[in-house]
This record gives sequence, C-alpha cells and structure tokens, in this order.
Amino acid sequence: MSLLQELGAQLRATSDELPTGLVTVAMERLRSATELLNWVRQTSVDTIGVPHLGNATEHAEHAVAALRTAQDAIAAYLGVLGLAADAGGPPDRDWKAGLGEPERVQPPPEPPDRPPPPEQLGPWWQNRVSELTGEAPPRPEEVPAERGRVDTGELLRRVAAGVRSGDRARLGRDLHAAHASTGLALSAVTPPVLHRLAGDLLGHEPRPEDVPRLRSAAAGRVRSLLPGTPPAVLDALIARICRAPAGADTRTHPADSAVTSSVLTGVLLARLGRDATTLDPAAPEPLRRRDADA
Amino acid sequence: MASVAEVRAAVDAALQQVTEGQAAIQAAREKLGEAQQSLAAALDGSAHDAVGAAHASLSQADQQLEECLGATLHAVEQAQTYTATL
Repeated sequence: MSLLQELGAQLRATSDELPTGLVTVAMERLRSATELLNWVRQTSVDTIGVPHLGNATEHAEHAVAALRTAQDAIAAYLGVLGLAADAGGPPDRDWKAGLGEPERVQPPPEPPDRPPPPEQLGPWWQNRVSELTGEAPPRPEEVPAERGRVDTGELLRRVAAGVRSGDRARLGRDLHAAHASTGLALSAVTPPVLHRLAGDLLGHEPRPEDVPRLRSAAAGRVRSLLPGTPPAVLDALIARICRAPAGADTRTHPADSAVTSSVLTGVLLARLGRDATTLDPAAPEPLRRRDADA
Repeated sequence: MASVAEVRAAVDAALQQVTEGQAAIQAAREKLGEAQQSLAAALDGSAHDAVGAAHASLSQADQQLEECLGATLHAVEQAQTYTATL
C-alpha cells in the first residue's frame, strides 16, 4: 500500500466512523419523549420541558447535517488526492443503529436482589393495544415469564415476524407482553428503519410525491392488523417517511404511532420479501434495488 | 381514568427516553473527539479548502451536540419540577 493509499484509507475510516447513527438514535429518542410529554400535558399551561426538548432535537438535527457535510468534505478531498473511485462506500448501517440497544445507551441494571418496580403504565399500554389490535390482554396465567424482558429492537423483530405471518393474535400477544416503556420506544427506533425500507421498496429515496404509492402499498395490510388505529396516524407516519409535511396532532395517543410504526415496518419488510431477522443489527446488509416498482 | 401515579409514570417514561438520548449524545461526542484527533493527525500540513471545511463541520457538530445536551438538561429539570408538585 502506497503512502497515499494509506492516507486515503485512514480518511475513509474516519469518515465512516463519524457518529451519525448515534446522533440519529438520540434525535429519535428525544422526539419520542416529546411526543409522550405532549400527550401528558395537552391542556396544561405547564410545558413540562417540551420546548427545551424541541430545541434539543433541533440541535441534534443540525449536528447530523454538520456530520454529513464533514463526510462530503472528506470525500471531496479524497477526490483531490485522486482516490475518490478507489472503493465504494461502506454499507449504510445507521438505519439499524437504534435496534441494537448498545450497553452505553442503556441505563445501569437494577441490582439482582431488588424486585423490579411495579409497572404503573402497564394497564394503560395494554388497554390501548387492545383498542388498536382488537385483541384482549392475556389472562394473568397466560402471561409469559419473560414479560417485559425484551428490548425494543427485539420487540420490533417480533412484531415484524407476526405481521409477516399475518397472525393478529400473535401480534396482540407480543405487544401486550411488552412493558409500556419498551413499546413506546418503538416510536424512537422505527423512523430510520421505515425510511430505509421504504427507499428499498420504492427504489429511490422516499420523496413527498411517493406518499400515495407508499400508502397504497401498506395501508390495507396495516388496517387489517390494526383495525383500531386512526387513519391519521398512518398518514402522518407515511408523510414523515417521505419528508412530506404532516400536521402535528398532539391529541394522538403515544401508543398509536409506536404500535402503528412497528406494524408498518413489518408490512414493508413483507413487501420486500424479507424476514424479521434482517432487522438484527448483526445481520448482513440487504441488497438495495434501484428504480424498482413498489 | 388517569391517576397521579400514571401521569408521573408517563413523565418518567419520557425522561427515560431523554436519558437514553443523552447517553447516545455523550457517546457520539466521544467518537467525534476521536475523529477530530484522527483527522488532525492525518491532514496535518494541508491547507486545502475541503480540509478546512471538514474541520469546521466537525467543530460545528460538536457544538450542536453540546447545546443539545444542555437543552435536554433544562427539559429534565423542568419535567422533574413538575412531577414533584403533583
């Protein structure tokens, strides 16, 4: 390897390792928290920190944009060195960055001798899951011992597998079995996944004019699995995927977008003919097709 | 009907998301610091515009992340003050 090639390799590695994925994870966590607090406060004059969270999310967006600009500048410099075409870029793994639940993003574990605190939001979550799916919560004796132990990435893979099999009862069981905080976090992990899957299905980056096409590809299946989901929730999710304007509705139940986005993920995966295991961060990157028809 | 315990639990669930976001931002800032050092070492001696632009963008990203973190701290404080009054 020549000195120039070595320099190029080092610059590429630096560019590839810029933390765009981590910042995207943070941004989606903040959005999800904002959505939940907005729902809690609705008619209250107390803002409960929502404007500050809005500012924080905006700073995170700017940080991602600055990181992308830095990557572009490094790519331009590689071009100056005559190394631009030496190798293709690495596979884009940012879209799965929120699914692995890396240890450093997790809170410290509870001491083993301390029983877990009772889940105050459990009935609230289960009631809404029942309304969305039409599936009643399981009886206490049917609750699996592992209830609540799955992380959000695993819950998303289970939901996606349930969608693929078309089994609404299974979908209901998996969602009921999750803790509320795990289920609500689906809102935070799904946006980059949905954007990527939609792009793969459409054959290009989702654009505002793709909204009708994406809706017709997914709406029927989502409605059959989630008969109780308000149509506005799916419309808002699709608009966001396509970077199209969508009216913000703070009256939406926070569980609605969490559950609907996970089911939409499963529907898009099924349309692509992919298994839920492809959402595992360790799974090989699926091949992207270009200019395909959805 | 919602109870105070449920409202508090919902705010706590939101704050848990914020905490995870803060952890991700801190991890991102660490990685960014490493990238800045690596880039400075590799590009020492270059005066090319693209190099200057890369350095400037990374500094800007770090500043945005710092401000992001600061804003989340204010948000957490406000939310905790609110739940303390319930």
